[in-house]
Amino acid sequence: MTLNSGTQIVERPVTGETRPMTMAAAITDALDLALSHDPSVVMYGEDVGNLGGVYRITTGLQKKHGIARVFDCPLTESGIVGTAVGMAAVGMRPVVELQFGGFMMPAMDQIYSHVSRFRYRSRGRWKTPLVVRFPVGGGLGLLEQHADSPETYLAHTPGIKVAYPSNPYDAKGLLLSAIEDDDPVFFFETIKNYRDPKLRMEVPTGYYKIPLGKARVAREGSDVSLITWGGMVQQCETAAAAAAESGIQCEIIDLRTISPIDLETILESVEKTGRVVIVHEANLTGGMGAEISALIAQHALYSLEAPIERVAGFDTMPSPFNSLNHFSRPEAIHIADAIRRVLSA
Amino acid sequence: MAKSSRTTSKQDATFKGSVTETLELKPFQILAPDGKPVREDLIPDLELVETLYRKMAQMRYLDDKFFALAKQAKLGTYAQFGGQEASQVGSAFALDRSDYLAPMYRNTAAMITHGWPTKNAIMYWRGHPEGWRMPDNLNILPIIISIPGQYVHGAGAALGAKLKGTSQIAMTYIGEGGTSQGDFHIAVNFASATNAPCVFIIENNGWAISVPRAVQSKVDHLMRRAEGYGIPGYLVDGNDVLAVHHTAKQAVDDARAGKGPSLIEQMTYRIRPHTTGDETKAYRTEDEANDWIANRDPISRVKKFLELEKRWNDDREVAMIAEIESEFAEALAAADAAPAPDPRAILEYAMVNPGQNLIAQQAELERRIAAFGGAQ
Repeated sequence: MTLNSGTQIVERPVTGETRPMTMAAAITDALDLALSHDPSVVMYGEDVGNLGGVYRITTGLQKKHGIARVFDCPLTESGIVGTAVGMAAVGMRPVVELQFGGFMMPAMDQIYSHVSRFRYRSRGRWKTPLVVRFPVGGGLGLLEQHADSPETYLAHTPGIKVAYPSNPYDAKGLLLSAIEDDDPVFFFETIKNYRDPKLRMEVPTGYYKIPLGKARVAREGSDVSLITWGGMVQQCETAAAAAAESGIQCEIIDLRTISPIDLETILESVEKTGRVVIVHEANLTGGMGAEISALIAQHALYSLEAPIERVAGFDTMPSPFNSLNHFSRPEAIHIADAIRRVLSA
Repeated sequence: MAKSSRTTSKQDATFKGSVTETLELKPFQILAPDGKPVREDLIPDLELVETLYRKMAQMRYLDDKFFALAKQAKLGTYAQFGGQEASQVGSAFALDRSDYLAPMYRNTAAMITHGWPTKNAIMYWRGHPEGWRMPDNLNILPIIISIPGQYVHGAGAALGAKLKGTSQIAMTYIGEGGTSQGDFHIAVNFASATNAPCVFIIENNGWAISVPRAVQSKVDHLMRRAEGYGIPGYLVDGNDVLAVHHTAKQAVDDARAGKGPSLIEQMTYRIRPHTTGDETKAYRTEDEANDWIANRDPISRVKKFLELEKRWNDDREVAMIAEIESEFAEALAAADAAPAPDPRAILEYAMVNPGQNLIAQQAELERRIAAFGGAQ
């Protein structure tokens, strides 16, 4: 089975019936299945009940599953996440939505001080099996704080997991894993990918899971390892396809989960290619690229043939200047540049 | 147990605030500070009064012992509740054992009232991992240090219980300083909007460390905010355990009956320092605390009442103190006898399913253990 862009999906169990789904449809499908699968799953947030969320991901779910399972709540990110902690403690599985990743910060006290520590500080008495979903990433010329990608803050926070899928099949399987997981999971949904027809693919209609913490080799190659996740996978694929025309074989590692990270898959690839480009939409300094670089330096330094390159957002807020966004958000052309740099080093 | 657990609507009017009418509010009382009833009709069964008195006396003894242990470095930094025994015992006693309690750091008395063993409390404040482990049969959420997260957790636990269809409710505490935080508003508003069965208690003890109540807000009584949330608000003499218990019971019963949350402000006073690391001389006079100790002590008020009722005498007092002392000594001995913690506790419970980072850090922890030769 292939992505419409032509990329081989290496890991792809085929189970039962499939139908074509966008990212948005696959996520909705996962939420619908989770609500049917487990009566303790509840969903709430701003606009998620009646409207179906600003990106209409929960459309129809309230009607189908009832207002006690899918509902609107007061406009408060800290309240949404903080009540989810209490609700999870008493045996529910809240799957809450924040309107944008850039709106996560009002909830950051609850995330940092409580979501991450509730189980640890009670020595296992209180679990926090909750999922926080939100749309992330730029490239669409939306308003400020509608284009952020705040995975680094979460990856640095102990006790939580971070999933950041790049395609409909992964999104559905990772989300179902996240909802079943007894650890709190933050689930990143790239806005630009939600309804991108190029990403539409056959997705099993049934219930399946993709393990959290397991990367995917999105493209095999021997010359350069592109390590990336979320919306940047698509950009890397475009860059890799262009590089292939010049005879350069890029391997793309789609991490799928930022935390925990699949070090084994990263190292296997680095040991094979010796050249690394890490690509993320979040800004550069102290970003996940730094952590991955440190892990590679620790475990595979002598496999490296060139300095590690990082392609990331600038150390500013994501560009609010619509006509200049393509300079700010990493795109295939910037990745192609970095590939040339690691090959010429 | 209590002969009166509900007030009539007429009684409600005497202590429910209304901003629009800007009524001058007086804290609701059942016993005057001299132990004489001001509301004879609301005196509960004397057995309950005696139980509350015994619990408060036990808590005062424990609080003072904890302070002494901390000064001997046999306990870590400890947040005292001395002076707030009525406020905590009276309210927590209104809960059913299966209800959820979402405490903050000053709520050791409320937690013990809700079933937390003294031995566990000693070990918690010692920083022993087994003290941090909340027993499975206790519905007490973790102690929250960074106020006011617990208020939001209480609202969430209450909403969760409601969605599950159980009859459990949640009770959570905050100080008057904590009411200035955004999450205070968020929690009470969220519970109000979702009709979550949560009882929100403000222990107004006059001081947020060194910052007096007046600095927090211009409003005369913090419970007036209840009006803005469309929920009942109560102003209570927090040093009158009967008034505290009566009001908490009403709020608990309302929550359980599906009437949603309440906000209760209990006027009390922290007669001790903020923590064992605090020095009150820097910000308040000793006279102020001494006045509360001499004239408005929550424990002697009930004792006087029980004596007036011929329910209490010196012999019973002596017997009770002996009992309290021996119970505490037993708990302390049990805590002292607990094995030193295994350093591996540091990485336990970090994640249900640890990733490579934690697995790698387990190896690092083993190296550190080897370097130190086990526990220090």
